[in-house]
Amino acid sequence: MNKEFNLTIKDYESGFFPTWCPGCGNFSQWRAIRQALVELEIPKEEVVLVSGIGCSSHMPNFLDVYGLQTVHGRGIPVATGIRLANPELTVLVYAGDGDIYGIGGNHFLHSCRRNVDIITIVSNNFVYGLTTGQASATTPVGTFTRTTPRGSIENPLNPSTIAISAGATFVARAFSGDLKHLAYVLKEAIDHRGFAYVDVFSPCITFNKNQTFDYFRERVYKLEETEHDKEDYFSALDLSNQRFVKDKLPIGIFYQIEHKTTYEERDFSLNQGIIPAHAPLDLTEEQIETITAEFY
Amino acid sequence: MKKDVIIRFVGSAGDGLVSIGILFSKILKKHNFNILGFRSYQSVIRGGYNTYQIRVCNNKVLSVGEEADIIFLLNKNVAELHKPTEGSKAMVIYDNDSFDLEDLDYPEDIKKLPIPLASITKEISKLRILKNIVGFGAISQILGLDETLIKEVIFEQFGSKGEEVIFTNNEALEKGIKYAEEHNWPELWEKHKYEKAQQMLISGNEALALGMLSAGLKFYSGYPMTPATSIVHYLTKHLPKLGIIVKQTEDEIAAIGMAVGASYCGARAATGTSGGGFSLMTEIIGMAGIEEIPLVVISSQRAGPSTGMATKTEQADLFQAYGASQGEFPKVIIAPYDVEDAFNVGIEALEIAEKYQVVVIVLMDLYLSESNSTVRKLDLRRKNKRFEILDNPPEDFRRYQFSENGISPRTIPGTKNGMFFTGSSERNEAGTSLASTLAGLPDTLPIRVKMVEKRMKKLDTLVKELENPQLEGTENAEITIVSWGSTINIVREAVLHLKEEGITANHLHLKYLNPFHEEVVTKILQKAKTTLCVEQNYTGQLRDYIRMKTGVNIEHKLLRWDGEPIVTSQIVAKVKEVVKNE
Repeated sequence: MNKEFNLTIKDYESGFFPTWCPGCGNFSQWRAIRQALVELEIPKEEVVLVSGIGCSSHMPNFLDVYGLQTVHGRGIPVATGIRLANPELTVLVYAGDGDIYGIGGNHFLHSCRRNVDIITIVSNNFVYGLTTGQASATTPVGTFTRTTPRGSIENPLNPSTIAISAGATFVARAFSGDLKHLAYVLKEAIDHRGFAYVDVFSPCITFNKNQTFDYFRERVYKLEETEHDKEDYFSALDLSNQRFVKDKLPIGIFYQIEHKTTYEERDFSLNQGIIPAHAPLDLTEEQIETITAEFY
Repeated sequence: MKKDVIIRFVGSAGDGLVSIGILFSKILKKHNFNILGFRSYQSVIRGGYNTYQIRVCNNKVLSVGEEADIIFLLNKNVAELHKPTEGSKAMVIYDNDSFDLEDLDYPEDIKKLPIPLASITKEISKLRILKNIVGFGAISQILGLDETLIKEVIFEQFGSKGEEVIFTNNEALEKGIKYAEEHNWPELWEKHKYEKAQQMLISGNEALALGMLSAGLKFYSGYPMTPATSIVHYLTKHLPKLGIIVKQTEDEIAAIGMAVGASYCGARAATGTSGGGFSLMTEIIGMAGIEEIPLVVISSQRAGPSTGMATKTEQADLFQAYGASQGEFPKVIIAPYDVEDAFNVGIEALEIAEKYQVVVIVLMDLYLSESNSTVRKLDLRRKNKRFEILDNPPEDFRRYQFSENGISPRTIPGTKNGMFFTGSSERNEAGTSLASTLAGLPDTLPIRVKMVEKRMKKLDTLVKELENPQLEGTENAEITIVSWGSTINIVREAVLHLKEEGITANHLHLKYLNPFHEEVVTKILQKAKTTLCVEQNYTGQLRDYIRMKTGVNIEHKLLRWDGEPIVTSQIVAKVKEVVKNE
């Protein structure tokens, strides 16, 4: 414990009360993120929270950290740039399923294989909420939404399975209705060395009458209460896929390995301990000679 | 004596034309000549009809020139495709072991110079590539080049490959020289001693990269796209030594996203692409604009639309840059005009971006990006300073505080008490979103109005800082030629030719396209007797742009959109036609 660290969960609030619907699943994530940061004793100025567009992406408005809201789906690349420019920072991406799995799907896939040490938290409500209820990439087949009035005819993605197979080194799932477990999972994710990804079942109380708090309460069980070995790749793949085969939904850490080197450890500049954001701007004589030799 | 010769290597993709062209350029540079080299090629890896043309002068080279004096045919297919022009008096060098030109219908004034490259090479080594060096030897005999200097270049180029490689290359060179000597090949220039060369041989893209490095570039991201990719290639080469981040991304959206992230964090950052990738970047250009995050975006134009002609030059993306992203925000557009200027713009773009917290679009074109030119020694030593970054923000720090010039000091993550929220939505001075957190509150409308004004004011301040466009040449000329981008020196050359023919022309070249020096440009154009806009596009984008900004209508236009650079004789002919009809 750092004696000088005396911040509380309250200290990480921006002073603006969230504009989400009362009862929204995002509230407990607002609390859990702050709780994890306090427990890990990460000072406010060393945290950057990057979001996209959507209800959940309003999150940085409500936190007293460095907060950056990007355009729709682009939180991951912006966060990656931040982290590579200054690897001393704790960089979180917080956005919804439409943002990360839909429009930002390409970045999600590549961030998994790239293993830059950022944390991606997806508030997954299985619907587009801010645009008043359309089908998303995780909406189950047959769901009635405003764009699928005859029931959705597309198969949904299973993002956790994708993350594991794409090479993510930390893949977990949590539920907004279980704050204690959620805070635990987020803390583990932030503490993880390498790319960490958490899918959070987070009911939309206004536009989703299917995936409700009760729906999840009846189905979720904690992996931490089972024999699951989170370093077992195939077991992780199997468990993350179970929502399609059984009416049981595991939450907790599917997969975590620490032995894989991070992007930062492999990068030829960062592995010299350089922090690009603070490095001197002027070239040295020696550098000038090296980079211009071929032109003479 | 004025020296001015054009050498053209003709081959197919896979013949190594670029390495041949660059190596021969280095040899010429070693002799203290000024050179300009440009490759004309197709978007294939094997086959096709490609050329690498080098113009070599003892004065500054203004264009890559038109008719070649010396042509080196590298294979049979291109020998058949190649059509030497009557009256060009070109010398055509070819390997008569591999093919002959007997059955080809060449004009009488073309001088065929066969040389049995295959059998000469076979005497030395099995390496077929040596044929080119034998050919270099023969050409150097025509140009009266210094054997010792050529061997110096061979050593610099192949030294790391061991003594035997040097030895065989030198031998190939000697045999080439000897063959030309023994067969009484023409000697264009006499042999003499050359002074030691000081200048650099560098491409537009490399010069731009050097400029950015000199100004403290710390982060560069990109997705491969011709003709911008060579920037990444060059930066990556020296990466560990420079301690910078160069990131190839999954797409151009990620490229610009990462650059914005790095820049937000305090690293000087840039990204680069061509029109197609630029299209993908436009949404985040607007985001950086409203969030006031410094950013340099390089777009090297090539022939469009869509994939268009990927390896051909064009200047048709001015309106794409000007209109990039929805809404209104300050956006700086600079079009570098030659290789040395690309270096200067590399520095300037990063500085303007950081000082004004704006997006700076550097609008290159393929002809400039890929031209290899000799330039004076570029000075990379700089004392860079940082702009508007607070280490100890005051208690009432507001990231977007209103100010006279529109610039507000910023903090970067990691700075104590400097935390702020920024987003792609409109905001108040503290950064709080007017669109969500403060939505609908009565005082949001005046804040919105002032916030737009604050951002746009930056351009008013910046335009005063930028150098005014200058009219080059005599004041009362018969015609004023207007141009932008890489055509500058071609126009200059045309002006010189016109002068020899008794026609006076002056020249207005525009480098800063936004913000625009409206009053200066209006004054210059209104004084002109008649005006001609020279551009590499179909619609005359600069001409339309000038009319939009100034109301002045440029009377005549010379446009070219076949993908090849405009040539001097085209401009001369057009001016003559215009002046005659005035």
